Amino acid sequence: MAAAAVGQQPGPAHATGPSIPSLFTQPPVIRDELETDSSHLQDETVDECLPFLSGLEHDKVNAHGVPRLDRERHARFLRKQLGALPGAYVGADPSRPWIFYWCLNALSLLGEDVEPYRARLVETVRFIQNPAGGFGGGFGQASHLATTYAVVLSLALVGGEEAYDVVDRRSMWKWLCQLKQPDGGFQMAVGGEEDVRGAYCASVVISLLNLPLTLSPESPARAGGHTDLLSGLGEWVRLCQTYEGGVSAKHGVEAHGAYAFCALGCLSIIDSPHRSVRKYMDMPRLISWLSSRQYAPEGGFSGRTNKLVDGCYSHWVGGCWPLIEASLSGPTASPSSQPLEATDEDDSLFSRNGLIRYILCCCQDMSKRGGLRDKPSKYSDAYHSCYVLSGLSSAQTKWRFVASRADETLLGDDRWEASPHTGGVQIFDEEDRIATTHPVYAIPPHRVEAIRSHFLSKEGF
Amino acid sequence: MPPKAKAAAKAATPDPKATPEATPETVGERSKQRFYQTNPVQKRFEEVGFPGLTPAEKKTYAHANLILPVANRLVSLSNKSDREYWKHVAKEGLPCRRLSKHGYRWGEDKHGRDIGTYRLDELKKRTLSQARLTALDVLHRQFLTRREAARSEGGEISPEEVDEEKNRRKEMAELKRELYGEIPGPLASDPEWDDVAPIPQTEPEDALAKIAYPDEYAEAVSYLRAVMAAEEYSPRCLRLTERVIAMNPAHYTVWLYRFKIVSALSLPVLDEIQWLNGVALNNLKNYQIWHHRQLLLDHHFAATLSADPEAAKQFAKSETDFISRILAEDTKNYHVWSYRQYLVTKLNYWSPFELATTQSMIEDDLRNNSAWSHRFFIVFSNPSVSTPGSAPTEHDPKIPDAIIDREAEYAKEKILLAPQNQSAWHYLRGVLVKGGRGLETVSDFAEQFFSDLGGQGESVRSSHALDLMSEVYHKQGDVEKARLCLQRLSDKWDPVREGYWKYRLAELK
Repeated sequence: MAAAAVGQQPGPAHATGPSIPSLFTQPPVIRDELETDSSHLQDETVDECLPFLSGLEHDKVNAHGVPRLDRERHARFLRKQLGALPGAYVGADPSRPWIFYWCLNALSLLGEDVEPYRARLVETVRFIQNPAGGFGGGFGQASHLATTYAVVLSLALVGGEEAYDVVDRRSMWKWLCQLKQPDGGFQMAVGGEEDVRGAYCASVVISLLNLPLTLSPESPARAGGHTDLLSGLGEWVRLCQTYEGGVSAKHGVEAHGAYAFCALGCLSIIDSPHRSVRKYMDMPRLISWLSSRQYAPEGGFSGRTNKLVDGCYSHWVGGCWPLIEASLSGPTASPSSQPLEATDEDDSLFSRNGLIRYILCCCQDMSKRGGLRDKPSKYSDAYHSCYVLSGLSSAQTKWRFVASRADETLLGDDRWEASPHTGGVQIFDEEDRIATTHPVYAIPPHRVEAIRSHFLSKEGF
Repeated sequence: MPPKAKAAAKAATPDPKATPEATPETVGERSKQRFYQTNPVQKRFEEVGFPGLTPAEKKTYAHANLILPVANRLVSLSNKSDREYWKHVAKEGLPCRRLSKHGYRWGEDKHGRDIGTYRLDELKKRTLSQARLTALDVLHRQFLTRREAARSEGGEISPEEVDEEKNRRKEMAELKRELYGEIPGPLASDPEWDDVAPIPQTEPEDALAKIAYPDEYAEAVSYLRAVMAAEEYSPRCLRLTERVIAMNPAHYTVWLYRFKIVSALSLPVLDEIQWLNGVALNNLKNYQIWHHRQLLLDHHFAATLSADPEAAKQFAKSETDFISRILAEDTKNYHVWSYRQYLVTKLNYWSPFELATTQSMIEDDLRNNSAWSHRFFIVFSNPSVSTPGSAPTEHDPKIPDAIIDREAEYAKEKILLAPQNQSAWHYLRGVLVKGGRGLETVSDFAEQFFSDLGGQGESVRSSHALDLMSEVYHKQGDVEKARLCLQRLSDKWDPVREGYWKYRLAELK
């Protein structure tokens, strides 16, 4: 149906005919006849995306049928989100630190300097840190691992001692000890839910702030025989892998893309990925499941089996690939200064072409509003802007896991190297290449370096 | 003593150009007029300066400006000069009371508008409102005193008086908002909350992503902070949490606090669940609701259900009924399915009923992967047939063969209805792993979904079957056939995963 439309419509996509593989302009070759609610939604989504994928919805596309990344428009949207927000945003009151992280990270990826936000960020988060440790969603709100994670990453993004030293590490450590559970996992808040986000957020916070690992005597995890913040965590994460091969929020639930990234991120912090991911995950099933998340013609990733593509999984699923590759290859101590030779051979485990296509064609809001989105029928927001751009960055980059941590106690101290991905056809314009994002910490690598070295120099609290 | 000034009309006006002035429009204009009226020669002075004044004007100007200093004895004059001076003042009718040179600041209203720019009738209205507010405030203070007195005698003030006070505060709130832009919300107007000093949001003016909170929300959360800080667990706090939740169900802190109240007051769990059902139906995507429910379940279990299997069963039934209602609206709701699993485990509800309801959801939509996942859970985590702690990705020798057979058959039956439905294939593989059975045990089944691979009449109805068979062939040592499956997947039947198929091809060696 959409293919027929291509023939009828004159326009930029028509005359000279950009070369778009039919894979991305035609419905999939195998389709079951049986219709269900899920298949209807899937068909509607394909219909929704095809005009964008075939170039019909865009004023201008390149020879590969892909529009430009409208940096200025998206940056404007993100800067606006960091400003004064109307009362309709009251639902975001418990998750404002997320807005800081999403916007600052997305702006960084777009090449904007976010350091000018430092003073404001520092003054803003000062009021949401609780004396008993951790950061809440806002002033007077209980500390929560998700918002704490977002605050710590935001502080890392703006950088500088003034930012780093807002964090009270001693109370943070005490609070994390309270969250650690007898079964090895982490609650998100005291009395809150225990899930794999907790495992990831805690690992990130512990390793970036270089917190001591010894559990406080009051920690509930002591009842489970634990003495260390990270002990039993790998085993706990292992039980989140499901029969499908993906990872669920907690034991026994359905595999979900966001939790896969959390699991791999956590495992890659507690030890080098070629050891820990391989130790705790069934690799063939995990890779198969991750790979199944990519759909054609859409090109993007879905979060679960038989669910729809969504731009945010460009990061949650797309961001798993560097960690998977690192787990498979182990440290590849090849001479780092030498760039990889450009080759037609693309050894990627997923279709970068498809993902980049979905992102640039379907996820950009090209109206005055700007920002990036789930899919064309949805509004852009800070969350999708951050994760769509993270996914774009990852798809444009070849990450190499260069050296495993010399000292096992230095959590997350592996060396990673980024170079532009060169295999296969590059379908985006070179000016649309965005900054890199660390495969584990999901912020630009030099920001990770800076905050780590700041806290590595601290002894004790 | 300064003698009384004669009426201004009688006075010889020193300004010859004076004409009857226009009626002032605004408060500021009126002030200005009054200023000139009470400061003779001032206008001339401003126009031409002191040297430009006529000698008579100079005299008037100097006399007028000396009135206060002389009266206050800041300038000392001999008795004679003093008498002389006041004679002049009286003769010229110079006003003793005068508006200051510096003008009068009326202040600003709630919109930042200078009250000096008010029209006279506007000012009158405002003044009346202020008077009304003052009067109400007197009555309000009397109420507080009477209540204090009643309480000190161990009594309470009458409900009628409280109602009266509520109405009074409502009116006061309206007046304060109108006059000063103050937003004393419903809580500040409720005498029940008089003993709580709300903690307002503390935040710099230019905070990032600063939200312009609606008044009522800002007020409610400022009371919430106060009672949470005081660790108060009371019925009024429960109502407050309800108020905040109604405005913002994503506020996780209020949920955690609410649970503490429910447990501290030992409130009936079933009432709380009843209330929660309404909230859940209105907020399908909210997940705090489901964690709250899980906490309630734990609490209820510890207090009652663990000792009363019949009640536990009933509770499980009513919970699954409600869950089904929610899932009917949102069939793949992650948090609801997640709670359902928790419920089954906690209440040991591995019932045929649970299997049946899940099955009917699968049959409504064979692609509902959440329902498949739940089925896997209730079949393979049932402690009566499984090994505790067995990972979903590993063989569990304790699972009876009959169950493996039954589940494999179920998956196959559903695959036949929609061979490209990956949910059912994943399930089938999962079952085989649990049973410790190789994929080759389903090779006859899988092979029916493709034919003449690589040939002229090639036909494939399920890429998942090809995927599975590539593994079977490989295991059987037929690398070529395995390669062909993967190659065809890469080239034709699932080309978006080309990179993955190539990886699998490379792994064949």
